[in-house]
Amino acid sequence: MPAIFNHLKEWQNELNICIRCGYCYEHCHIYKLTNWESDTPRGKLVLIHALLNGELEPSNEIAEKVFECFYCKKCSDNCSAKVSVTDIFTAARQDLVEAGFDADGVTARIDEDFCSRCRLCISVCKTEALSWDAENKKVVRDKIKCQGCGTCVATCPSGIIVQNEGYAVSRKELKERVKKINSRFLVFCCNWEIYPGLRLSRSETAQPDTHTVIVNMCSGRVEPELILEAFNRGIDGVMIACCPPDECEHNGNYKMMRRVAFLKNLLPELGIDAQRLRVDYFKAKEGVKLKKAIDKFVEDISAIHQSAG
Amino acid sequence: MKLNLDKLRAIVGMGNVRTDPLDLFVYGTDASVHEAPASAVVRPENIEQVQAIMRYANAELIPVIPRGAGSGMSGQAVPIKGGIVMDMKRMNRILEIRPEDILCRVEPGVVDDDLNRALKSYGLFYPPAPASSRIATIGGEIANNASGVRSVKYGATRDSVLGMKVVLANGDLIRLGANTRVEASGYQIDRLMIGSEGTLGIIVEATLLLKPIPKYRCLGRASFNKLEEAGNAISEIIASGASPSILELMDNIAITAVNTTLNMGLPDVEAIVMFEADGQVKEAVDYEIAHIKAVCEKNNGFGIEASYDPEKRMKLYAGRKKLFAALSRYKDGLACTSLADDMAVPYSRMADMAKKIHKIAEKNNVVMTAYGHCGSGCMHTKILMNPVRKEQWDDARRAVEEIYDYVYAIGGTTSAEHGIGISKAPAWKKEKADSLKVMKAIKKALDPNNILNPNKLQDAPDDWVSATRLRYPVKGAV
Ligand SMILES: Cc1cc2nc3c(=O)[nH]c(=O)nc-3n(C[C@H](O)[C@H](O)[C@H](O)COP(=O)(O)OP(=O)(O)OC[C@H]3O[C@@H](n4cnc5c(N)ncnc54)[C@H](O)[C@@H]3O)c2cc1C
Repeated sequence: MPAIFNHLKEWQNELNICIRCGYCYEHCHIYKLTNWESDTPRGKLVLIHALLNGELEPSNEIAEKVFECFYCKKCSDNCSAKVSVTDIFTAARQDLVEAGFDADGVTARIDEDFCSRCRLCISVCKTEALSWDAENKKVVRDKIKCQGCGTCVATCPSGIIVQNEGYAVSRKELKERVKKINSRFLVFCCNWEIYPGLRLSRSETAQPDTHTVIVNMCSGRVEPELILEAFNRGIDGVMIACCPPDECEHNGNYKMMRRVAFLKNLLPELGIDAQRLRVDYFKAKEGVKLKKAIDKFVEDISAIHQSAG
Repeated sequence: MKLNLDKLRAIVGMGNVRTDPLDLFVYGTDASVHEAPASAVVRPENIEQVQAIMRYANAELIPVIPRGAGSGMSGQAVPIKGGIVMDMKRMNRILEIRPEDILCRVEPGVVDDDLNRALKSYGLFYPPAPASSRIATIGGEIANNASGVRSVKYGATRDSVLGMKVVLANGDLIRLGANTRVEASGYQIDRLMIGSEGTLGIIVEATLLLKPIPKYRCLGRASFNKLEEAGNAISEIIASGASPSILELMDNIAITAVNTTLNMGLPDVEAIVMFEADGQVKEAVDYEIAHIKAVCEKNNGFGIEASYDPEKRMKLYAGRKKLFAALSRYKDGLACTSLADDMAVPYSRMADMAKKIHKIAEKNNVVMTAYGHCGSGCMHTKILMNPVRKEQWDDARRAVEEIYDYVYAIGGTTSAEHGIGISKAPAWKKEKADSLKVMKAIKKALDPNNILNPNKLQDAPDDWVSATRLRYPVKGAV
């Protein structure tokens, strides 16, 4: 066994226990985006196992895969062999970084040259991936801890914290997705409360939905610009579906609530009825409640439209 | 093997060809014990692209291994000697749903559960439903003749496929089967493709027969203190003309596994039988359930309960659904391997088979379970063993051989649903000794250059343990 895998070697037995059934495919946000099996939790465990046993040489490309994880932990939570998938990813992150491999994956990066040192980002990061380096007077990030929720990206007043493109969470990609919507309603849904199944198949016979769902890693990532962009495009209503106040993995929902309060004041001035923006709370696996809440929202806003003639 | 990547890129586009060692490694694995890296991964999007890839590969004599979700358990999709792994998951369109003809047309990469979600609004379903339906593709299911928990009533994949389009090794496209429930128009070549494990052609479209979703479903469970009595109950339920839509067995090892991993609180008995009846008329379902209950009681079954309530049904069934994965937590240091895992035996021998499995396991120092879709004749087992010890692989090899010798002696067959691939091929070649020549002739006729998923089925190595690298870090050479 190559000497560099000090953290991973603890997990050898767990890696043997994974039966490679692939049921985790269904839960993985990244896989649903790329449809490459090397992006699935199973695929990554296969790679990590191969590293540990010397079947593959460590590389930046493999490190990149390991950093491509939002830690929604749906794979671990739903693994019936109870393999701690994301803990294994963390061990792999540690070993690869210690061995000098470099990758960003979905983690947030800071463009130091333009950082104003306001340190707002540090206060919103629940995983403590960001900290203040007093000696060098700069914000440093621990990318092993970063889970890519994007709350800091949405918080940074200078807009200099970014996530790589390719995972549908960068500022540019989110904006493009909002621009492409052709349904009447938009729902920003954080990955924790919805449970959409694999849904990788396409159907031309299926009815178009009244609403489009954009899954993001935390409601804290939803910037006011995105909401305004949606209204600007004539969308009837925007709903933000997120975790109940004290249950957010990232505390991003508090951030979002403040933003929504601010927007609700602003919208009437732009001639937009504030009721067209709604926040609702859902626990993990409350998919049915979510669906009902979306239907109700669509119904309420349609009624407002009708009465307004 | 010399691959011209530019040619492949020209066919499917830059972004759909990968040769990074990490991708090659991942696409060389599935849910089996085997692994062997691919030479390239290619993702076609339509029939023309599949044809072009096959023409190129056939001219250059490069193996092509079609791949769905890679959930096969016998190494069917593992490229033993490398080659182009053709990932079919981008051909994922449900082309049409025709409720008036109760059929649908789909591309091979459509995921089974996705299809059933789409069919639901028409009040229809596609019945084969392997336990892996959340990821398995229709193409992979056809190529494996998958079946599942409701096959006892609705049959295997072969009973639900009406026709298909197939690209042959030379790139020709052929249409097989028909759009009708019955067909007597000559050779049933579509049937030949079902279960061919990617060795005869690439399935690029399928026409599937659907069934109306039953209005009523009632699921029940009975406990038994003797495995034998559970086996007898199953045999008698079927033989007495009942028509259950689920009829499952779980032995004590399986029960312990789900109880420890998932905290299911199943009764700690020697065996559990799960049953379901479904239909459009409640009285008919009541009748079936009463009949099944009575047979269970007659065979000393106890703690019998049944429910129409969806939530209760789900609870009753949850342990079974996650059983396979839970088995890997049966005991520290043991891993759960899919070997000799899905034989089919005549109903009357079900109980004997279960007992024999336990005996063989004990003799060979491994742990084995007996469970499965016994109502359709399918017995599942898993071999739980310490996968890093070389001796355990010798134990497993012996256990597998002894199990299949017994299966054949009682008139059973090698695989009910998971297919042959690599790990079951040595035993299966014994079972099919007299037809191997015909199979080889068929393979030669359809794929003269032997490029379609070579070294599988009749051409697989004679020793499964050394056929590929094993996925576990075995100490000492195997
Ligand atoms: C936890 C678990 C539970 C399972 N339960 C069941 C069960 O209950 N019943 C059951 O039957 N199986 C079961 N399986 C086995 C497996 O999931 C099924 O056999 C399934 O049909 C395989 O589909 P796939 O898309 O993953 O195919 P793959 O594994 O990718 O491929 C399987 C074979 O099909 C070939 N193939 C794939 N697509 C095509 C195509 N388009 N054209 C030609 N050949 C093709 C491949 O070359 C290969 O030989 C289970 C597996 C797991 C891991």
